[in-house]
Amino acid sequence: MNTTSTSKVEYLPRSRRRMLVAAALVGYPAAVALLAGLKHTSLNRWLILVLFAVVLLPSVVALGVAYRYARGRVNGRCARLDERDLALRQQAYALSHRVLAAILIAATAATYVYLTSGNTLRFDANSVLPLTMWVVVFVPALPALMLAWIEKDQPADA
Amino acid sequence: MPDSQRPVHNRLAVLRAERGLSRKQLADKLGINYQTIGYIERGDYNPSLELALTIAELFRLPVEAIFSLKPMTPLSEEIFREPPAGSG
Repeated sequence: MNTTSTSKVEYLPRSRRRMLVAAALVGYPAAVALLAGLKHTSLNRWLILVLFAVVLLPSVVALGVAYRYARGRVNGRCARLDERDLALRQQAYALSHRVLAAILIAATAATYVYLTSGNTLRFDANSVLPLTMWVVVFVPALPALMLAWIEKDQPADA
Repeated sequence: MPDSQRPVHNRLAVLRAERGLSRKQLADKLGINYQTIGYIERGDYNPSLELALTIAELFRLPVEAIFSLKPMTPLSEEIFREPPAGSG
């Protein structure tokens, strides 16, 4: 592992980390919505794909940075977790649960409103795939993202 | 750590400097990560009772000489404080 880039990530200020977390969480739904919106237009397929990749890329980069920032502290792969790391991990998991609950409640409410407004929901591979991707990629990443969100700035070395 | 946590003031940075210890050296002696020392010194993390007592033991000082719920006065002020009048 590159020590220099790891330490740069380690010292990212909380404000920047929070921007990355927001980008990670918003990027994928935005990219999927863009894809769904442009799919039935006359726009060139390759251009749509490029636009999709451009919108998705910050999300992927932000996820990578968050995982690197967490340094194995959320999944217990870190060799030595002290009491502060353990407390932080607990808080990150608790916040992840709250965020996930909020997303599920919002999604359920939106589905209810959509269905009771005379619309029908069609479940096929095209509609389930983005949801599956979100569950597979983002749900396990939530604790790392939340850890990056809550941890205070690192004290300067002394 | 919750932002609403009651702050615990400490003299860790002063004691560490006095003993010529880096954060890493002190952390290694305590078996914790060096970042945790920085967070404690800055008041961003309140150590557990066990860690506070271990730190006190390491510095051979009573725990209340290192940690306090009230802001701490400078050590020099405490050492050279004039005795109350009539105390000898």
